[in-house]
Amino acid sequence: MRLRVSRGRAGVAEARAAAGAVDVPVEVMPPRCAVDRRPDIGEGPVPTLNVTGPRTPGDHRCARSSRGDTIDVVTTSTAPTAGPPGLPAEPLPDGRLARPPLVRLHSGRLLAGVASGTASHLRLDPIAVRIVFVALAVTGIGVVAYALLWLTMPAASADGGAADAGIVGQRPSRRQLIGLALLAFVAVGLVSRLATFGGSDVVLPLLLAGAGMALIWRQLDADPRQSLTSGVARWGLIGGVVLGVAGVVLLLATTGQLANARNGFTATVVILIGIALATAPLWRRLLDQRAEERNARIRSEERADVAAHLHDSVLQTLALIQRHAEDPTVVGRLARSQERELRAWLYDPTVATGGTWAGLVARLVAEVEADHAVTVDPVVVGDLPVDDAVATLGQATKEAVVNAAKHSGATSVSLYTEVTPTSVTAFVRDRGTGFDPASVPGDRRGLRDSVVGRLTRLDGTATVRSAPGEGTEVELCLPRGEQAEAPA
Amino acid sequence: MSPTRVFLVDDHAMVRAGVRAELGDAVQVVGEAADVATAVAGIRASTPDVVLLDVHLPGGGGHAVLETLRAELPDTRWLALSVSDAAEDVIAVIRAGARGYVTKTISGADLRDAVRRVAEDDVVFSPRLAGFVLDAFAAAGPAAPAPAAEDPATDPGLDLLSGREREVMQLLARGYTYREIGGRLFISVKTVESHASNVLRKLQLSNRNELTRWAATNRLL
Repeated sequence: MRLRVSRGRAGVAEARAAAGAVDVPVEVMPPRCAVDRRPDIGEGPVPTLNVTGPRTPGDHRCARSSRGDTIDVVTTSTAPTAGPPGLPAEPLPDGRLARPPLVRLHSGRLLAGVASGTASHLRLDPIAVRIVFVALAVTGIGVVAYALLWLTMPAASADGGAADAGIVGQRPSRRQLIGLALLAFVAVGLVSRLATFGGSDVVLPLLLAGAGMALIWRQLDADPRQSLTSGVARWGLIGGVVLGVAGVVLLLATTGQLANARNGFTATVVILIGIALATAPLWRRLLDQRAEERNARIRSEERADVAAHLHDSVLQTLALIQRHAEDPTVVGRLARSQERELRAWLYDPTVATGGTWAGLVARLVAEVEADHAVTVDPVVVGDLPVDDAVATLGQATKEAVVNAAKHSGATSVSLYTEVTPTSVTAFVRDRGTGFDPASVPGDRRGLRDSVVGRLTRLDGTATVRSAPGEGTEVELCLPRGEQAEAPA
Repeated sequence: MSPTRVFLVDDHAMVRAGVRAELGDAVQVVGEAADVATAVAGIRASTPDVVLLDVHLPGGGGHAVLETLRAELPDTRWLALSVSDAAEDVIAVIRAGARGYVTKTISGADLRDAVRRVAEDDVVFSPRLAGFVLDAFAAAGPAAPAPAAEDPATDPGLDLLSGREREVMQLLARGYTYREIGGRLFISVKTVESHASNVLRKLQLSNRNELTRWAATNRLL
């Protein structure tokens, strides 16, 4: 059925494309479309397409596009709840697909979801379906039909809806319990009737075996993505097996067939072992294949991650660089910031995100380079966690670097910081024009206030070495004193 | 004096072309190679003065080339070139005998200067390499790391930097040239060079575990 949808869509897309591309073939298209569809609509109502028929090419195109839209609506509404009751009379052949798929639903199920699934597919009340099943069960056909449907109907995938997924793995609802109790009641009735024929000895073993079977089936029938090794499922399975085996053994014992069964059992075990040994390579290969597939999936997911990151970062930057190809400054800045970003992503996720001095320096360098046309080469020796004093040192360092970027005229600035047990030092050096520190007018606040002032408030020192034509070096030193921690 | 004969080893043709263009006429490029096998064969055949050696190479990495040819060609100098390799790899190449380490983003003038320096048997410390040395050698100085290292008298040999060597390394990390360092410390450029050579020797010969451990957990550029 699904296949039909896709073919229908492809046909529409094809027709649309052809109609959009050339005007002439449009007149040719309708018959072909109709022919294409005929097998699909054979058992359905008369298709609109043939009834209304194309009067003009333009008309037809509209009709077809509305058709396409309808198909879209139909396919999105395959959710179990969809479908107004009157739909069978709908004019569109593909509309038959609006019927929800025949799957066992997890939500609202009493036993295995067969009845509710069937009801949803037939658009009937679940109660009605259940009554029919129960009525048929009296004759025995209902039980067989239910079992067959249970075997053949696929379980609804858990991602069918949030509500559905929410119910998976929860405790059985009250309705479910009532249903199960009713069933148990009926089963006990049946067995006790059976007992009047075959003797009461077999009742208990049969009940045990039946309960064991029911437990095992319930567990194995759960959502396949729920691991069978999870606690509840495992205990359920083990309990089911124990019950079943106990039931069978009891049954054999009460009917006096235990000795015979033992021989048969031995033979069966021998045969099973033989089969297992003979097919061992096959199992092995199946397991290997599964592992391989899982690895391949993991790899492709990783690849997709990397591709996504590269697309968002490197490819965007490359596009920007192409657009600014004539401006070397912009290109250089883009390349450098991208390089830094990529490097951090590849190698130093902790430095980039962690609250340490090295990370702080890396960030301030990135900020300065983004705002000014300089390259800064930071060299960081040692590391320590950031506290208020260190953060202030960072601000002062940034100010010094910005100063060098703005006033020195140099294109690169060296930044060296060293963390020792007794102090944190930072050196900002440029090879620019330099100046005579003594001749700086008193109203030049940059270095004096934001660099020297900050450091003095922290009992640190700031030294400026510079001479005209020889570049400038600012040395900042912050004592660590009482908060001296072990060097990182 | 004949121009320095240089051999380029890098697995990226674009990088080789760029380096070749930046070296310009200052040197004579006698050969190129893109992997370990061709590099070994080419260098053996051309016996260059300086080999610019990419740290990361297909077929074993730069240090594989170095280890194969080091004893065979004692007069050839090696300069490591790297872009974003693990410190581990860079240090491996230096410990195998390279005389210095520069990054591929180095400017043309600096690269020419570095090649000339290496050809003259000097060592080339980038600020980052100097920073690495300081970090690696300070990380586990004996009892009281920094103050003890400042005192030249307590220098026991290969495992510690002398005070002077530390000063030289610090100034290199701050972006000073040898000449400027000499000026700052009131010593001759030759003395600065010999300090740098000593540090390189310690880096190559020291068998401190901390060195390798540091390199394994950190990155040079």
